[in-house]
Amino acid sequence: MEARREEVRASVGERLYRWLDARFGVARLVEFARHKEVPVGGHSMVWYYLGGTTLFFFTVQLVSGVLLLMYYQPGEATSYESIRYITTKVPFGWLIRSVHCWSAHLMILSLVVHMFSTMILKAYRKPRELTWVTGFVLFAIALGFGFSGYLLPWNELAFFATAVGTDSVKSVPVVGQWLLEVMRGGPDVTINTLYRFFALHIVILPLVMVAVVSTHLVFIQVQGMAAGMAHQRPDRPGLRFFPDFLLRDLLLWLVCLIVLATLVYLLPYGPGIPGMEWELGKKANPLTPAYPGIKPEWYFLWVYQLLKEFPPHLAGMEGPQAALLIVTVLMGIWALVPWLDRRASKGQPSPKFTDLAIAAIIFMAYLTLKAWDIGGHALPGKLPDPRSTAWACAWITLGISCAIALLRLLAYRQRWMYFSGAALLQVVLNGVFGLDYLLAGAAALVVAIAGVVVTSRKEPAVQLRAPK
Amino acid sequence: MTAPVAHSVKPARRSILNWFLGVGVVGWAASVLYPVLRYLRPLGEAGAGGPLKLSAEELTTLGKSHFVIARSGTRKVIVFEAGGELRALDAKCTHEGCTVQFVPGDSLVWCACHNGKFDLDGRVLAGPPPRPLAKWVAIREGNDVILTMEKA
Ligand code: FES
Repeated sequence: MEARREEVRASVGERLYRWLDARFGVARLVEFARHKEVPVGGHSMVWYYLGGTTLFFFTVQLVSGVLLLMYYQPGEATSYESIRYITTKVPFGWLIRSVHCWSAHLMILSLVVHMFSTMILKAYRKPRELTWVTGFVLFAIALGFGFSGYLLPWNELAFFATAVGTDSVKSVPVVGQWLLEVMRGGPDVTINTLYRFFALHIVILPLVMVAVVSTHLVFIQVQGMAAGMAHQRPDRPGLRFFPDFLLRDLLLWLVCLIVLATLVYLLPYGPGIPGMEWELGKKANPLTPAYPGIKPEWYFLWVYQLLKEFPPHLAGMEGPQAALLIVTVLMGIWALVPWLDRRASKGQPSPKFTDLAIAAIIFMAYLTLKAWDIGGHALPGKLPDPRSTAWACAWITLGISCAIALLRLLAYRQRWMYFSGAALLQVVLNGVFGLDYLLAGAAALVVAIAGVVVTSRKEPAVQLRAPK
Repeated sequence: MTAPVAHSVKPARRSILNWFLGVGVVGWAASVLYPVLRYLRPLGEAGAGGPLKLSAEELTTLGKSHFVIARSGTRKVIVFEAGGELRALDAKCTHEGCTVQFVPGDSLVWCACHNGKFDLDGRVLAGPPPRPLAKWVAIREGNDVILTMEKA
């Protein structure tokens, strides 16, 4: 009896499979899945899971976001009030909001680490240039999510952070003013801005995100995950995707969920670091003056600090315009790395781009630490002293950078460090010796260029040494 | 005999058709995009920069906290009393647009966002703001305070 029922059930499954196969050619997919492998590199496997964790947190965002929508009402008299209602009255409302906030930060964190590991492992090299570009677009969309979501509670902090953040748009040549008014729904940040950000946050960006994520994933399915560079790849077979890799993936997602739940439970309003807290605070009032300590979220802090470092005028431009020009150029270089790095695309070691990633980390870390006012003793209502902040932040950056350099030298035998050295030079000149940030930057630029020129003369020597 | 003629006519006809098609597509795209782009940019609000009378509520705030921020159309004005004289400046910082405040102790106008400092006439003293704050004229008429934009 039991055995027969089992047989019937199996044959139902079997029949369904055949039915689908006859119509959609499912067998081909199954065959593809059976052969799908994840390359086992000379480097740690950890880096292969970060795209997956980012996707996991994005899924959490979709679910918790839809739940928040059940109560949130955009509007001058309702935005702030409905969020307060969610966190104080709705059963488990605090939980849903906290999950949404925490998961947003964790998603961006996971995305940033994913991006830097891709950079350092050169996974962007031919033929995966477009996977890198779609990843870069996803990074930009994630930042857009963070920025637009920040305003929705309509509290004081969000109001001023958005006013400053959108104001920079006006320095875009030609269309700046038009863009500013389109973003804000008028010349200033008002409730009209919130309506526009709301539409962006809950409709436009999710649609675009899903489309680009799908493209990114299709690229990865078609080309497979990138193996390590030839000179560091051991001769080992890959890991089967089904079920070996997938099960590990699922296990890691479970760990992510547990971490998320723990953070949400212990710190429902964030760790309280500037740029990483979501205490509701006071309702936005456009007619109150800004107060010290208005900061954007942590991943924007380096830009925020850079805006502060620029003088009112520079080379015929206004300070913010010049600062944003530099940020745009840096971002452009970052997006085009697969084409700039010609050595990696030929499968040769390319230490310059490894070092570029480290230099970027040093550059942003120093600015972020400064934006946090670490080491500047602030009196209430006054701003912390920028000199002592710069001093403390420079020493911290210096310490960490030296540790990283030592690790690279001893464990990975990396020698090419002109970019990271130049970035560090700027930190030291500015923080320790008190030289102007931009002058220090110019000095660093000279060192970096000199490094490239000097070592590219000796390029053949590098080629001889590397492949084993 | 007809074949060569057909050959020479066909490519020309095709390229003309392609040209028409191209113009049609561009025209169609423009006729869709223009209304959308125009729709996205909101209308300007009327009354910006006109003379402004402070309300009773604003006057009490001015008395209590040494300064008040009033709105005139789309512009924000900071009104403060320094050395017995009533002054008014644009309240929007010329750097990144934060709202400034008056610091009576140091007798300066301060922007907390990036530590921009202005003197009582709106000139930049320190910090990143690239331009001075525009001046307004504040006049007392009996119990009222009237603000008008200063002619440049
Ligand atoms: S916005 Fe006022 S100093 Fe930057």
